[in-house]
Amino acid sequence: MRGDALARPVRHPGDLRWETRLLAVVTATLVAFGIAATYSAASLITRNGQASGVNFAINQTIGALLGGVGLIVASRIDYYRWRQFAWPLLGITVACLTVPLLPFAHRISPLVHGARRWIDIGPINFQPSEIARVTLVIWCAMLATKKGEQLRELRKGLLPFLLGMFTVFVLIAAEPNLSMAVLVALLAATVLFTAGAKIGHFMLLGLLAVLVVWHKITHTGFRSERLGVFLNGGSTSDAAWQINQSLIGFGSGRLIGVGFGHGQQKMYLPFAYSDFLFSTIGEEWGFVGVCLVVLLFALFIWLGFRIAKTAADPFGQYLAVGLTCAVGLTAFMHMAVTIKLMPTTGLTLPFMSYGRSSLVISMIGTGILINIGRLRGKPRSAEERRASGAMPRASGAERRVSERDRRSGRGERRGTELPGDFGE
Amino acid sequence: MAKPAARIAVIQAAFALGIAAVVLQSADLQVVHGARWAAEARTQRTAHDTLPARRGALYDRNGVPLAITQEFYHVGVAPNEVADPAGTLRLLSRQLGVPLAPLQRDFRTRRYLYFHGPFTATQLEPIRSLKGIHLTGAYQRAYPARDLAAAVVGRLDPGTGTGSSGIARALDSVLTGQPGEAVFLKDRSGRKYESPSRLVREPVAGGDVWLTIDAGLQEIAERGLDDALHALGAEGGDVVFLDPMSGEVLAIASRQHAEGGGGSAGPSFFTTPYQPGSTAKLFTAAALLVHHKVDSTSAVSGHDGLYRMPVRGGRFFVIEDSHKEPGMVTLAQAIEVSSNIAMAQFAQRLTPVEQFETLRGFGFGSPTGIEFPAESRGVLQMPDRWLPDYSRASVAMGYEFSVTPIQLAAAYGAIANDGVLVTPTLVRQIRDASGHLVYQHQPEPVRRAIPPDVAARLRAFLRGAVGKGGTGGQAQLANYELAGKTGTARRFVNGRYASGEYTASFAAIFPADHPQLVVIVKIDKPSIGSYYAASTAAPTTRAMLEQALAARQVAIDRSQLAAPLDSAPVKVADSAEPAPAPPPVVFPWPDAGRDPARADPLPVPDIRGVAVRQAVLTLHRRGFKVSLHGFGTVVRTDPAGGESAAPGTAISVWTD
Repeated sequence: MRGDALARPVRHPGDLRWETRLLAVVTATLVAFGIAATYSAASLITRNGQASGVNFAINQTIGALLGGVGLIVASRIDYYRWRQFAWPLLGITVACLTVPLLPFAHRISPLVHGARRWIDIGPINFQPSEIARVTLVIWCAMLATKKGEQLRELRKGLLPFLLGMFTVFVLIAAEPNLSMAVLVALLAATVLFTAGAKIGHFMLLGLLAVLVVWHKITHTGFRSERLGVFLNGGSTSDAAWQINQSLIGFGSGRLIGVGFGHGQQKMYLPFAYSDFLFSTIGEEWGFVGVCLVVLLFALFIWLGFRIAKTAADPFGQYLAVGLTCAVGLTAFMHMAVTIKLMPTTGLTLPFMSYGRSSLVISMIGTGILINIGRLRGKPRSAEERRASGAMPRASGAERRVSERDRRSGRGERRGTELPGDFGE
Repeated sequence: MAKPAARIAVIQAAFALGIAAVVLQSADLQVVHGARWAAEARTQRTAHDTLPARRGALYDRNGVPLAITQEFYHVGVAPNEVADPAGTLRLLSRQLGVPLAPLQRDFRTRRYLYFHGPFTATQLEPIRSLKGIHLTGAYQRAYPARDLAAAVVGRLDPGTGTGSSGIARALDSVLTGQPGEAVFLKDRSGRKYESPSRLVREPVAGGDVWLTIDAGLQEIAERGLDDALHALGAEGGDVVFLDPMSGEVLAIASRQHAEGGGGSAGPSFFTTPYQPGSTAKLFTAAALLVHHKVDSTSAVSGHDGLYRMPVRGGRFFVIEDSHKEPGMVTLAQAIEVSSNIAMAQFAQRLTPVEQFETLRGFGFGSPTGIEFPAESRGVLQMPDRWLPDYSRASVAMGYEFSVTPIQLAAAYGAIANDGVLVTPTLVRQIRDASGHLVYQHQPEPVRRAIPPDVAARLRAFLRGAVGKGGTGGQAQLANYELAGKTGTARRFVNGRYASGEYTASFAAIFPADHPQLVVIVKIDKPSIGSYYAASTAAPTTRAMLEQALAARQVAIDRSQLAAPLDSAPVKVADSAEPAPAPPPVVFPWPDAGRDPARADPLPVPDIRGVAVRQAVLTLHRRGFKVSLHGFGTVVRTDPAGGESAAPGTAISVWTD
């Protein structure tokens, strides 16, 4: 364990590489853009006769400041610590997810828009499912590292994963928040996929998941409606109306947009500041702005994967993939929904949509990602690794990673630093 | 085992695909189809609103308001927007006159409070700028003079707000104005967001109309008629006061079924023709004079009050006179004593066509063209449909054809006006909302009905009829000389002459020299006392004229009454002009010396696409004759519209 990493006065050569700096810049840009977009998207919402766009922006800025602190702190905590606390984190997450389901807990988990997704205790107000997005990834990365080769076995390797995943999935789906549940399950699956689970198992599980999700969809009115709208289009129901409004706003932005604050579609589009923020961005900033946002997220994903590929150890690698996907996949699904590539879900745009839980958690995730990048190539003691119980075997993949880096002229230093026993 | 790096590459590739899909779809939505979505957004978000235009007012000739439009407001209160509830509620309670306690309760419990009112601008002045108070303007028509001249002024259709009767309907397009248009932003729940920059078009208020009606004289006419109907137990009646020179109707009143209590004041002076009886004897006399069938010495036998006029088949047409005339009767005497027997005999000297043309020349059988919807043309049969032996005599006595009071007034106006028929009018002046003169009535001569010397002789006959021995003696005023003719006609009810039912009427020209007024008084079915016009309609006329002369503000030029001056007619009562008008245009009128055939050519109106009826009316009023080829919509005229032709030219009209 390297708890003294922060205190070390000498900067390691791996500290603050350009990837991590760029990642921080990309994140800050997205957050800043997001505050502006939220302000504009919420500008026509009135509470008590007062326009509350400013309140939205202020709240979001507070979230950004909290998230910034979280990001800095997380980037300074050795990501290895998360592995040690993976189980307690999952436990806390499950506990938090259980609260909204308790019938007597209405006071701290009120019904909002037909679902109980929030926990509201005095000044603290958050969505447990947002926390699950990160903690489940940590837990999966931890377990995958621990299982190692066993992951390819169904009973001993995969089943424990499935139990944890399924618990979280069911709890989130029961809020109800099926889209978030599906997203969390997908993130876990991504981690498992990266860690080397069998493709056949995925197909089996995928089939099962499709059946379960289909059942849930067809048995919940608004979801089947949304799906029906997506598949058939042209329906006049609320859901069709909603997606159509999103398209009207998005499309009317045309090439350069109608201008910041000039979008009027927010008069029609519900949740223009959260679930459909991308539509508002498309309207106000046009195709140019859309491309910019997509580019920023693409950059984020690319950097995340770069960090993952060069991570110091498998846990870091899996965690980096999971955290990158937590942002990338959510962003993609949000965008896909607003432009009708996917049926309507309630996913927000990471860093940008209004919602402090999401913002803080995403930024903490980014902090962890930065930490993984910063600690790249730092040798860990065998003792530490043994304690973690994760001794990744000398995989050809890892060697290829280092080889490619070496070829690109950047991996030389790192290659020399790579401990010889890492690929045993 | 698959290698992590390879798997990461797979995930990366999946992301790349996803990003490509998002970008492509965005490009399709925004760049390829952006215009369509933008159009859809515009359609959805904008609401077009019609801003009502203020309806023009109607005034009498001196500016007395008869129908005006006032702005009223409805008040809405949005409690969540109110900044200072206590103060706002107190003001609301005081200004709107609603009790404070329920107001406070509603304020707490309801999301929106609405007070229909309507409230005036003065009432709302203290609260109109407060936060949370929403005013909705509405126009409301008011009639300050109540029912005065109601049938002429007309009323609005409560549903559509357009004129449904009278001038309100005839001049609806003038009065309505141009509604404005505004574009609003409309949100999801249909709420509108105002923005002054989004005003597409300001509403243009309707034009104001000054009628020819003189409120004072109108009041005298209406009250005089009511009194007469009451005193005589009559069923109904009409009164017309007409300025014969200009054709301006100064007062016009109607009452029907007065005995039933209340009584409706419909526009029967324009819509309900009646058989005029003796008041129309003058027109056959005019025909006789025009065609030189009588001179001052021509006379026929009085037949001692009972004449059996031989007709074909050895039968007789029995004609009676209430006043037995023993000896021979001249035409002047026949008018003076209203001898049916004499007129029937004189009429035999005329052909039906000669008689018809003179009557037609006075405007009978065709609408006068007054600005009033649904004017009746009366009934005057074509001469080829006249009964060979009866009709000439009947028409001479004022039967077998029917006229509306306004037609009779216009025809007497022609006699007063040296023989020129003038289109009667109700509209004197129209000004647009900014006060500019849009229309100023000028006398519209229709045609010369009779030569001036014939008119002068007819006026002399009329003078005799109200002189000593004349039937209209009871109408004579103490100081001023009147010319007039009584008429007591049997009422034609349900296809036959009802026994014991009469229409008593009196047509007067006042004063006899330099006439300023033509008065028609008609009383239907008087039941108390004598039914003769001499003792019903004639004294009623006198009473009204006496009141008019006693009143201060009535359009009678007293300087012209006392010492008749040999001067051009002077426009009356212009001193009380309400608006800062430019000096009235002096129209070269009367222009009796002008020969239509040699007159300057006039432009032929373009009447293509117009219905034949309207087209013919238009051409007639411009002074042309019409040769009609077919019925329907006009497609071609010769000369074509825009070309010039001398007045009186026959314009050929072809239809589709």
